[in-house]
Amino acid sequence: MTGKHITINRTDAYRFEIPKSGAMNVPARIYTDQAGIDELTGNAGEWSALQQLVNVACLPGIQKAALAMADIHPGYGFPIGGIGAFDPDDGVISVAGVGFDINCGVRTLRTMLTRDEIAGKEDRLADKLMEHVPAGLGSTGELRLNEQEINRVLEQGASYAVGLGYGTPDDLGFIESGGKLHGADPSKVSKTAKQRQIQQVGTLGSGNHYVEVQYVDEIFDQEAASAYGLQQGQVTIMLHTGSRALGHQIGTDYLKTLEQASKTYNIPILERELVCAPINSPEGRDYYSAVMAGANCAFANRQVLTHLIREAFEDALGTPAEDIETLYEIAHNTVKFEDHDVDGAMKNLLVHRKGATRAFGPGRPEIPPRYMHIGQPVLVGGTMGTSSYILRGTDYGMDETFGSALHGAGRAMSRRAARKQYPAKSVVHRMKQLGITVRAHGKHAISEESPGAYKDIEAVINAMHGSGIVQKVARLKPLVCLKG
Amino acid sequence: MPWELLDHQADIGLQATGETLEQALADGVRGMLSLMVDPDTVTHQVTWEVRASGNDPGSLFVDLLNSVLATKDIHNAFFHDIVIDAVEQIGDDWRVSCRLFGEPINLKRHEVDSDVKAATYGGLRVEHDERGWLLRCLLDL
Repeated sequence: MTGKHITINRTDAYRFEIPKSGAMNVPARIYTDQAGIDELTGNAGEWSALQQLVNVACLPGIQKAALAMADIHPGYGFPIGGIGAFDPDDGVISVAGVGFDINCGVRTLRTMLTRDEIAGKEDRLADKLMEHVPAGLGSTGELRLNEQEINRVLEQGASYAVGLGYGTPDDLGFIESGGKLHGADPSKVSKTAKQRQIQQVGTLGSGNHYVEVQYVDEIFDQEAASAYGLQQGQVTIMLHTGSRALGHQIGTDYLKTLEQASKTYNIPILERELVCAPINSPEGRDYYSAVMAGANCAFANRQVLTHLIREAFEDALGTPAEDIETLYEIAHNTVKFEDHDVDGAMKNLLVHRKGATRAFGPGRPEIPPRYMHIGQPVLVGGTMGTSSYILRGTDYGMDETFGSALHGAGRAMSRRAARKQYPAKSVVHRMKQLGITVRAHGKHAISEESPGAYKDIEAVINAMHGSGIVQKVARLKPLVCLKG
Repeated sequence: MPWELLDHQADIGLQATGETLEQALADGVRGMLSLMVDPDTVTHQVTWEVRASGNDPGSLFVDLLNSVLATKDIHNAFFHDIVIDAVEQIGDDWRVSCRLFGEPINLKRHEVDSDVKAATYGGLRVEHDERGWLLRCLLDL
């Protein structure tokens, strides 16, 4: 099962299809360019993203096609950049379709500052972000909640953090799902999961989680940029983190539950990590309720961190908190019920997005009224030395990919290889030459997250833009980056 | 090498070998701990007892790794080493009990590296022959 002998047909400039064959219930589609396909087939070793996508296409009840975006790379079970939508009556829910970092996502804040206004103050800002934002392995948050309070976080999401004075109600209107998913049931989350979270509320984490101060380098779509409140030279902030240890433990707990369920319901599994349960089974419903709770934990976490970022800006530059507004927040490790067109009829589906974001087109009621005529902002994090992007969802994306798009550049190199190839000192020096100030907690974080360890974000974005699934609005360039 | 880290584009593979299942399990834990902090910088001040279970040696391995991660977060501790006290098997019910030796995290003294989110069934492999055991899985970083 290495993916070496998978047939791939090009059906459009940026659309490739693996025809339905063997145990596949639907075809698989990848939205990328030819170079992206060449890289996937060239890397089809033991961890093959293509084979993982084919395995997803074999799951019961999957609708239309198993999908992957241009940032596709190998994950566990699902490929990262993978999407699978399932019929609630005969479909399944999968731990691997969500991942262990439940509702991991990105928030972009827009400020009233311009790039010129923070010139020369980058080091001070970086130091204050280090001071205010708990980050890295072993860091603990200032907020200590007991189990009862954790339960409220799991039910109420970001609004619970706002109630404690972290951020404002205005933030909530610009978070996917308002920062709270319905159907969360804290009783379906283990005591161990809650205990793991007690010291981790309001912490960034490590790995690829970051806070990055950026500026708007180029605007591609003036109407959309105006609606999103963006101008050239404006300073923005991007926050990337998730549900921390609570989410990890939910995944761990339900991996066991769903493994048993796969046997109970005779679901054929091509890779053990793809264990799943029928959506309409007690095990499937329990996992869904736990995931909703984990998602709310991530919403609350990003809300607390938004407040801490505002404090850091006020401390470093005297910027008032009200001058830093939430542009939007989207998640990229989720499973949600949504209405989508299937063969000409609207159908309620359970959509898994693993390393992929929601990207709804204009007119969808889920989009904040201010952005509804434009389409949902799609926030794509790049690397500390390249670019990030703000895109918008399209009607074509609604039809093609259940309103889904990419989440990042996508890794191109293993962490160990990056450690060898990109010593931290030389990366920091190179970033300084580019005018980018970097701070990190983990001793190998800078090497592992070096720009060279990722795919070329420009090529990835151009492929997605070219496909029509999303459209470019603005390119953001980094100024200050804090890594976990 | 009783344990080894394997390249993966996004995360990292972990492989442990041992003449006995107990040895392979312990070395798998040691390999995972090495990703987070240099175990030689962690002193033995506290002992934590950890139990894990599975329906075969593979799921037992993954559950043990995840139980160690949960212990780390709940007690905000790093570990210097592990001792496996017992592995029991009754039918397809596999259980392990062990002790972790370590101390509360001290960020002034411990130079932290990567956190491990979870051990997964991705790439899970178990081999057992007359030479011993091989255990392998993917860690989500």
